[in-house]
Amino acid sequence: MLMDTILFYLFAALVLGGGILTITRRNAVHSAIFLILSLLGVAGLYLLQSAEFLFAVQIVLYVGGIMVLFLFVIMLVNLDQAAKEKQFNRQWTVALACAGLVGAEIFYFLAKGAGAFQLAKGTAEANTGMGNTERLADALFSQYLLPFEIASLLLLVAVVGSVVMAKKRI
Amino acid sequence: MNLLDLVLLLPLVGFLAGLVLPRASEHLIRVSALVFSLVTFGVSVGLGFGVRAGEQFVTDVPWIRSPNIHYHVSVDGLSVWLIILSTFLTPICVAISWKYIQSRVKEFYAFLLLLELGLVGVFAAQDLFLFYVFWEISLVPMYFLIGIWGHERRIYAAVKFFLYTMAGSMLMLAAIIFLYNRTGTFDYPGLMEMLSSGRLSLSGGEQMLLFLAFFIAFAIKVPLFPLHTWLPDAHVEAPTAGSVMLASVMLKMGCYGLVRFCLPMFPGAARSCAPWIAVLAIIGIIYGALVAMVQPNMKKLVAYSSVSHLGFVVLGIFSFTQIGLDGAVYQMLNHGISTGALFILVGYLYERRHSLFIKDFGGVATPAPWLSAIFLVTTLASIGLPILNNFVGEFMVLQGSAQANYTWTVFAALGVILSACYMLWLYQRVFYGAAGQEVSSHVHDLSAREFAGIIPLVVMMVWMGVYSQSFLPPVSVADGRVLDQTKVNVRFQVKTPALKSQTAEVARVR
Amino acid sequence: MYASLVPTSAEMIRFLPELILTVVATLFMVLDPLLGRQSRHVYGHFSILALLGAMAAAVYVYRDPGAAFSGMLMVDGFATFFRVVVIGVGILTVLPSYRYLDREDAETGEYHALLLFSIVGQCVMVTANELIMIFIGLEISSIASYVLAGYLRDDRRANEAALKYFLLGSFATAFFLYGVALIYGMTGSTNLATVRRAILGGSLGSAPIFIGVAAALMFVGLGFKVSGAPFQIWAPDVYQGAPTPVAAFLSAGPKAAAFAIFLRIFLTAFQPIGPGWEPLVWVSALASMTLGNFAALTQSNIKRLLAYSSIAHAGYVLVALAARSNVGTAAAMFYMAAYAFMNIGAFAVVSHLSGKGERYLKVEDFAGLGAKQPGTAALLSIFLLSLIGVPLTGGFFGKFYIFKAALDSHLVWLTVLGLLNSAVAAYYYLRILVMMYMREPGEAASRIQPLTPGLRAALVLPALGTLVLGIFPGWVLDFAGRSSVFVR
Repeated sequence: MLMDTILFYLFAALVLGGGILTITRRNAVHSAIFLILSLLGVAGLYLLQSAEFLFAVQIVLYVGGIMVLFLFVIMLVNLDQAAKEKQFNRQWTVALACAGLVGAEIFYFLAKGAGAFQLAKGTAEANTGMGNTERLADALFSQYLLPFEIASLLLLVAVVGSVVMAKKRI
Repeated sequence: MNLLDLVLLLPLVGFLAGLVLPRASEHLIRVSALVFSLVTFGVSVGLGFGVRAGEQFVTDVPWIRSPNIHYHVSVDGLSVWLIILSTFLTPICVAISWKYIQSRVKEFYAFLLLLELGLVGVFAAQDLFLFYVFWEISLVPMYFLIGIWGHERRIYAAVKFFLYTMAGSMLMLAAIIFLYNRTGTFDYPGLMEMLSSGRLSLSGGEQMLLFLAFFIAFAIKVPLFPLHTWLPDAHVEAPTAGSVMLASVMLKMGCYGLVRFCLPMFPGAARSCAPWIAVLAIIGIIYGALVAMVQPNMKKLVAYSSVSHLGFVVLGIFSFTQIGLDGAVYQMLNHGISTGALFILVGYLYERRHSLFIKDFGGVATPAPWLSAIFLVTTLASIGLPILNNFVGEFMVLQGSAQANYTWTVFAALGVILSACYMLWLYQRVFYGAAGQEVSSHVHDLSAREFAGIIPLVVMMVWMGVYSQSFLPPVSVADGRVLDQTKVNVRFQVKTPALKSQTAEVARVR
Repeated sequence: MYASLVPTSAEMIRFLPELILTVVATLFMVLDPLLGRQSRHVYGHFSILALLGAMAAAVYVYRDPGAAFSGMLMVDGFATFFRVVVIGVGILTVLPSYRYLDREDAETGEYHALLLFSIVGQCVMVTANELIMIFIGLEISSIASYVLAGYLRDDRRANEAALKYFLLGSFATAFFLYGVALIYGMTGSTNLATVRRAILGGSLGSAPIFIGVAAALMFVGLGFKVSGAPFQIWAPDVYQGAPTPVAAFLSAGPKAAAFAIFLRIFLTAFQPIGPGWEPLVWVSALASMTLGNFAALTQSNIKRLLAYSSIAHAGYVLVALAARSNVGTAAAMFYMAAYAFMNIGAFAVVSHLSGKGERYLKVEDFAGLGAKQPGTAALLSIFLLSLIGVPLTGGFFGKFYIFKAALDSHLVWLTVLGLLNSAVAAYYYLRILVMMYMREPGEAASRIQPLTPGLRAALVLPALGTLVLGIFPGWVLDFAGRSSVFVR
């Protein structure tokens, strides 16, 4: 139990520290690498909740796939230009207000405890019977088979769309 | 299929034939329109004989099942003469437009026949929904007739005409839907039956709102002061045929609606509004006449005279007396004939001189004696000279209103005097005096085609003035039924002053 | 609830229309590199064949209605009606696109593929009986529409339109998704019928407030998709910038599908809290009608005018929703069908007249069309009269049924204000009629090209549809009436 607690704080620190460093670094490559660190922290938190599937997805998709793409793109575009730009623009007050509002909301619900937001029974009881991954697979390939398959169509449309919008005149 | 269906079908076939005929063969299009309209008229005369024998020519076929809409048409004494008036004037309009309309001939005659279909349908429909459909259908061709073939400010006039009528008819549509939701039927006789048997009873507030919704739609069409402002524009800017159809028949749609729907369906509200409406009608009579007097434009003068004449009709309707109602219906026909003739004659003058302004004329009697003579007869008919048609109608309306309220009659009678003033003054300025150079070189007498266009109307003026008994009996029967209906479910008792000598007097007038 | 891993053949057949369209659209992507430029019309032909096939399939599968894929889809009369409508909209969009794409010298393969994908998305939307499914359908339809709106990449207006549509559209979808998430959190289900039972069951504690919040969030998202006020701001810019056939498509297809899910969600899942959301819809309906009609009065660009008119028409359909009855649902269904015909027809004429690069888009450019091309002008007149709501056209009956439904539900003031609104609307439609018939031909009418067969079909078919719905509406209305009862 103690081990869990230590690990939790370790991963949480990773998430927060990575996040802060991501937005404060001037060099975009550094930012991206710190973002990877933050996402790894999130993956660790998933593992602590014994959500193995999400842990794997987080590592494989976000850290392995999306962030590598990010780095490619960052290296393709002109970095010097971006490094010189100011990191805060005029709307930072608005952003601060929004962030403060969300923070207040979170603190309110934390203070009220579990009863503040009544959840349906079905969603609360997650950790019974089968393992996490099996349950997910079962839901995806039986009840949610069609949305799962159709989602691929959605991705296809998005790919076609972006190609159409981006490609040069042939 | 009976005669009435045929009367409705023929203009439709004529309309479609006009669309199919090639654009280039203008003569063929004109002939086809004339033939179709004449045949329609011939068939519709049969309706007149049938109604005198008590026949109604009912057709009732379901059109749409849910909501329950029927193609239900029939005629009675109220509608039959209006239908015949429409079919009578259509061939005349074809004839008078023969030379005048030279551009887009195909569309012109197609729209004219479509208009005829709409008008006949409005008068024949016995289903509220069908009535509304025909009511709106008649709007579209008239909009185009004014907008395409009219004078300079035609577009303004056409749009104004369309929007005024549309706004009114939207309220009517709401009322029709309300009635349907309440009763589950659009059927007019069915609704009447429900009302008189008490199966449909509307609260006072409901009745008043429904009455107003219908009334505003009809009052715009009549047009009743102060909703008349579209009329001078539309009449002046329309081509002759459009003015004739508009003044002679389309305005009667409003009057007909008042008699057919407003009175019998909402008698309580109608009776409690009657004094106000009568006052508006009297204002219309006097205001229309005064404004007509100062008009420099002949067409505008005739248009304002229509406002005045139709005030009589509304007054007669809301007198709630048998003779007043008979007179109002008769006056609708009279106005159709005499104002139609006036517009045609003004159109003839316009074709010669290309001006509508009185100051451009003078001394027309010298180069065109026949035209002047016919114009004189029409003028006299319009101001209500005995033995010509308007006299009978106006007299009956005044008598009816006298039974209801004597003060009304006094003021309304002023209108008769004023009408004599403006019409005779117009006649004097246009036809007498020395003929100017422009007039004597351009104005010539009537051609054979023009005679053919106007003579039937003159004949009708005399006939309707001399022997009104050919027309009135079926009207009285229908009006009697309407009046009976206005007495059911009305909370207060209706006072009918019993004039012993009245019947004899009326008989003498007729 | 757990179904077996392999769907049964009956379930697959209920999904047949979508399958056909998906297969053909994917085939286009494969064919594109293989076929040269000379066969650019092939895609159009195949699209029409695919759409006809899908429509036949949609009708065919209605012989055996029911749920499929463990309650994800619900093939009922309602779904079938809207499937046929959106597929029909697709056909009527492909027809004028031949000429348009030739004129603007644009690629045809991707265009038709995206169009078909968008229709697949809409079919999924109207058939779905489950919030996740609805969301995925909505996204497929939307993403394809965003790209179609900006299909002419070299056109600055089209770029602006696509970007605006994309940003605001994503924003709206996010709102919708937020609502879905709340519902799932509250009730533990995304199935509409289950959600309804959960709300009715009353075991939600403090949840009714959150259910209300969820309904409001979904209302925002869907209000955007149907361009109802106050979420209508995007519509004029997008319609103006998008290629004209695409604008026609946007105003009919995605809108019909969005209304379908609007009706389905709010009249099944949220039906128990109806009195709560009715005032929202009431206000939105009135605002849409009024804003749309009055803004349209002052427009000089015909596409913007039609955009505002489409906002107003969305208002009329919202009136039907506010009626909260089966009659209202049937009226909305009928109206969307009638609206699809008349609006696509009107846009097809605009597309025909505007010329290369869409130069002639002013209302004044219609001057003298009646003299130059009487046939085209006559057909446009039918569409405009139908948009005004003159009897014997589909638009009239649509309006009639909607206001009848509203009066049935005692929405007297909404009815009266709505009807007066449609009298105001007559003015701006009349302006076009005035231009066509009462003015001398201008530059646009003089340069107008003869009609191609595709365009002719694109004009005549909607005109026939408008007239048939106006003269013999009985059959369609009966079907709509029978299908307006949702499976709860």
